[in-house]
Amino acid sequence: MDATAPRDGAPPLVRIVSASKVYGGVHAIENVDFDLRPGEIHALLGENGAGKSTLCKVISGAVDLTTGEYLLDGRKAGFSSPSGALKAGVAMVYQETSLVPSMTVAQNLQLGREPFYTVFRKLNISAQQSQQSLNFHVDPLALVETLGTAKRQMVEIARAARYQARVIIFDEPTASLTPEEIQHLFHLLRRLRDEGVGIIFISHALEEALSIADRLTVLRDGKLVATVKAGEVDRAQLVRMMVGRDVAGGAYAAPRMAAPASAGRREKVLSVENVTMGAVVKNMSFSVFAGEIVGMAGLVGAGRTEIAHIICGARKRNLLRGGLIYFKGKPVRYRVPSQAINDGIVYITEDRKQDGFFETMTADENIYLGRLASRLGRRWFYSPRERKRTADAWIGALGISALKRSLKIIEYSGGNQQKVVVAKSLVQEPSLVIFDEPTRGVDVGAIPQIHAAIREVARQGKAVIVISSYLPEILAISDRILVARGGRIVEEIPAAEATEARVMYAAIH
Amino acid sequence: MGFAVAAAAVFSITLPGFFSVGNALALARAVSILGVLALGMALVVIGRGIDLSQIATLAVSAALAVTLINAGLSSGVALLLGLVLAVTIGVANGFLIAVVEIPALFATLAMGLFVVGLTRAFVVPHYQVFLSPGHDGLLALGRNVAGGIPVPLLVFAGCAVVVHVFLSRTVLGRFIYAHGDNVAAARLSGIGVRPLTMLEYALSATIGYIGGLMMVASTALMHLQIAESTLIFDVILVVVLGGVSLVGGRGNVFSVVAGTLLIGVLLNGMTIMNLDTQTQDIIKGIVLLAAIGIDSYMHPREEETAKQGD
Repeated sequence: MDATAPRDGAPPLVRIVSASKVYGGVHAIENVDFDLRPGEIHALLGENGAGKSTLCKVISGAVDLTTGEYLLDGRKAGFSSPSGALKAGVAMVYQETSLVPSMTVAQNLQLGREPFYTVFRKLNISAQQSQQSLNFHVDPLALVETLGTAKRQMVEIARAARYQARVIIFDEPTASLTPEEIQHLFHLLRRLRDEGVGIIFISHALEEALSIADRLTVLRDGKLVATVKAGEVDRAQLVRMMVGRDVAGGAYAAPRMAAPASAGRREKVLSVENVTMGAVVKNMSFSVFAGEIVGMAGLVGAGRTEIAHIICGARKRNLLRGGLIYFKGKPVRYRVPSQAINDGIVYITEDRKQDGFFETMTADENIYLGRLASRLGRRWFYSPRERKRTADAWIGALGISALKRSLKIIEYSGGNQQKVVVAKSLVQEPSLVIFDEPTRGVDVGAIPQIHAAIREVARQGKAVIVISSYLPEILAISDRILVARGGRIVEEIPAAEATEARVMYAAIH
Repeated sequence: MGFAVAAAAVFSITLPGFFSVGNALALARAVSILGVLALGMALVVIGRGIDLSQIATLAVSAALAVTLINAGLSSGVALLLGLVLAVTIGVANGFLIAVVEIPALFATLAMGLFVVGLTRAFVVPHYQVFLSPGHDGLLALGRNVAGGIPVPLLVFAGCAVVVHVFLSRTVLGRFIYAHGDNVAAARLSGIGVRPLTMLEYALSATIGYIGGLMMVASTALMHLQIAESTLIFDVILVVVLGGVSLVGGRGNVFSVVAGTLLIGVLLNGMTIMNLDTQTQDIIKGIVLLAAIGIDSYMHPREEETAKQGD
């Protein structure tokens, strides 16, 4: 039998039938069918939020299905925890490796299955042997924290192999590897496959997936789109499968506003030049003009939220060679957000529960606090009257439908909460507003209202940046789309020429 | 508050000598100082901090003031310099916590130790410093005023009113609540979190200093050993029991007053019952653990953002 092809006649190692997982009323995956054969490399593709991680969490035992079946070797998978899964032969290699940095490689290899009394000599020899069988060389005495990402991944793979794992799941394994390391990894994966191991491979790099996988499965919005053999599709088809959706339907179908009459020479409000911060933002450059909505698309980790944090003063770019930022023509370097707010820059956070609102206070108090914290609202004494006046104005403007104003904001719906957070920033009278994932976790009815508010902000002549991971939203609301990838802006697309496929392509490659 | 009344009722029935005007006044006098300290601590705790150096700070500032008075400086200047020292320590605490980002628990603990050591080395070579006779102005703070009402009680009432107005009516007070509710949101909203933290600890130190002066007025001496006593636990006990949650953003002056009364009644009752200090400590410890436990249960910490010493 050809050793490099999956054994087509063999029963699948893993079979997922009609699987659904619901989190708080929302389907993470819905009616998904999936199977993995022994001796196969199976790639799992899809946008952020498509359900890939959830599916893998189910297979690796970290999460239970709400409905549907998970069969391992034809029998119901009886485990409900990752350690149970390991014993059954299913291992997961994470993006953020799950090794203990302060221990040696050999110690990590036996993590979770340590004998009562460790004889180090035996341990190190056995570690050496494991690795030789897989044909890679890492010093078993080396501390994990001294190893680079590629070697750490090797250690994780070795650990999975020691567990005699027959199913190994990789979550974005090539994200931080050099091309040579990727080749080495693929070589290893092929060896494992030839020994009959089934490998699931989550990736955003379509080229790589096509080169290594035997079969590919595409998920979209939690549902299965298709499972295809590697030879039967090309890149373009895969992208279409990943993003193709009914553009005409849904809450994002609002018609684009006609360009404002005074579209001529608009003031350049923000200019970001070669900004660098750590490893996340690398030489990012772009500009934003008054009265326009700039949409920032890209995968999670591309650096969009981070550059937003730098612009609004929540984080600081590199001190040396960190680039320049000009706001209204003036060079700026903010140390704290209050400085940026005083100049007129506000940032509306992507995680409102974590740093968006004050949960012990009511909506009125939250909005008023935004006013008090800005230079315009500064006063010594708290005025309940001014609070009511301010809150009334914004509750009306944004359509915050709270039944009882005396309720604490934590008890409002997601949409209302988001509107309050938006009001809390707009009340500070900014000139540049950055919305980070403005409709995340927002009920469908409130989405058009928030979009209308964003458009109104731009119509009033302010500069607006909208960061979103949801392509239909980016397309519906932006005048101009910037695509971020790997810490820099790689493409700029005017709204008229933008399509989902084009944006997605730029974000991935 | 109801708890305090209930406890008082129980004690007055069961203990002879509890329910008398004399005892009530003695109770009020003892409780007032504790109450003032608790008001200061409450400001910090509402901002999601803790000030373990409060007693140490008040001890060294009051000791400095007394030493200067004894050395011949006018009372006004000496008291002012003591205040300056207290505020400096408070601001230093705030700096360590907000700028250097040391958790409050460790920063204030270490600061307390540091200032006592420093003071003993340079200012007060013996553990205690007596107020030399002839400075009746200060001692008036410790006496009774017309009608037999102890002055300390009036000072406590005055501080309570001021702190209440500050917390409920001023913008800075509201910022402290916001700070305790969600530091990250406060920062992103434009509240200057670092200066605010320094203010919180400076206020705690200042109010503590007032408490220290009340102590000096009562006894005409300042004993540095109180910095090593369990008084700090009594203060935290009052704050937590009264309903100011350690998790921040909650509580008000009424809670603190209620807590003060409750603990005052408890301590007074234990004294009348002639319990020795070990037993008293055991009881106080149990009550504190129970209070913190209930507080944790009602306001659980977010595991993802919790830090050491939270």
